[in-house]
Amino acid sequence: MVGVGSEAQKYVWEGAIPLQIHLHESEITTLPSPEPALILAPRIGYLPLLVPQIKPYFSDTLPPGVDTVWFDFKGMPLKWYIPTGVLFDLLCLEPERPWNLTVHFRGYPGDLLSPCEGEDSVKWSYINSLKEAAYIINGNSKNVMNMSQIDQFELWRSVLNREMEAYLRISSKLKLGIVGEDYTKIVMSPRQSNNEADSVGPSRAGRIPVRLYVRNVGEYTDDLEDVPPVDSWDRICYMNKPVEIQREEGKILNLYDAIKMLLPEFFPDEPSIDEELSKLELEDEPGIGGSNLSDPDPDTNTVRKTELVTVKNETQLYPSHPTGKSEIKLVRIQGIEPKLDIPFSWVVTNLIYPEHFLHMCVCVGVSQDPSKTS
Amino acid sequence: MTSESPNSSRKVVVHLRATGDAPILKQAKFKIAGTDKFAKVIAFLRRQLHRDTLFVYVNSAFSPNPDELVNDLYNNFGFDGKLVVNYACSMAWG
Repeated sequence: MVGVGSEAQKYVWEGAIPLQIHLHESEITTLPSPEPALILAPRIGYLPLLVPQIKPYFSDTLPPGVDTVWFDFKGMPLKWYIPTGVLFDLLCLEPERPWNLTVHFRGYPGDLLSPCEGEDSVKWSYINSLKEAAYIINGNSKNVMNMSQIDQFELWRSVLNREMEAYLRISSKLKLGIVGEDYTKIVMSPRQSNNEADSVGPSRAGRIPVRLYVRNVGEYTDDLEDVPPVDSWDRICYMNKPVEIQREEGKILNLYDAIKMLLPEFFPDEPSIDEELSKLELEDEPGIGGSNLSDPDPDTNTVRKTELVTVKNETQLYPSHPTGKSEIKLVRIQGIEPKLDIPFSWVVTNLIYPEHFLHMCVCVGVSQDPSKTS
Repeated sequence: MTSESPNSSRKVVVHLRATGDAPILKQAKFKIAGTDKFAKVIAFLRRQLHRDTLFVYVNSAFSPNPDELVNDLYNNFGFDGKLVVNYACSMAWG
């Protein structure tokens, strides 16, 4: 079983983002203004957990009132239940260090953010995400729900304090171990491995919980600095969709295959990603050409087969699903942009967050080139 | 793969089930657009029950985050053509 964790896992667990946190000007009641707080935020952590560290920097200058802490980045309120690393990867495309955030202790935007009462809310959200992931993997959440109070407490504490070994020890009891060496074996030899795959039955082994954040940057040059900041969560398409493992003989699912399963609308009939792809196996899947929101126009489908990018270009930001009219520009997981031909099992084993979800940030856009003549 | 039916604008049947001492609604099933967020289900229940604090679960198991799309929840956790949502006035399943 998983014992000490891989080197990559250690990097993930130790990963942190330097933050420079400014108090919002409306809450500064003293002169001179307080200096910004400089702190390291764990990637796998959550912003509200930093409040005890941040508060002392600003407590002398705050106006009277009760604390309801929230953060924004360039005016966009940050959702507290999304791990800090994901927020950074998604919203700060050209990584700035330190990352400049604004903290507010008053005026909680309850219409935009769900209420947060500090660590208790974060823990609750964490455990529920874990149960959700377990449900996807096992078809129920029993293993998490039946955890002893002590184990649940220890598990949360290991996440809070970033104690990877303690975490791996406790979470291995949850039998969510869909990943790792055995997993690859199952993928490679589906039938024969049935006997030996004791606790990891093949029917359950095939679903990886994924939270996907698709950001449409519209027209796109290659310079990430040119991309305007997101000003509303409505401009980010949030999807929860497991990757279903198809067992085909001798084939190891790679990241490219997984992304194709998650976002088929970006893979009409031809490879649309011009990155290095070692092996492309394009199955003809019915219905893959039709986009989701707009009416499936039979003509566009045939056009798409030959011309990929020039499909009529209304860069509307999809509120719910991508329309398949732009292409994938960037896939970022845990701060890195992995090569697409690496085995998906490696990605899952090493880059999942401690609630067993793989959070993937995907940037889509339309290439800015003269081919907009249609 | 299953979720990519041509019309993701379809409606999802949500079956609301009271848990613990939560009041039972007269109408237990209703339809909601799949493209709505789970937050809409929570808000609906709060309005119906006149309560600010409410715990809302899927399949008596977990509480999804309010941004999850009803479509995604249905695809991942629905069965028999509906999504089962349980609600309670106090924490039921942690």
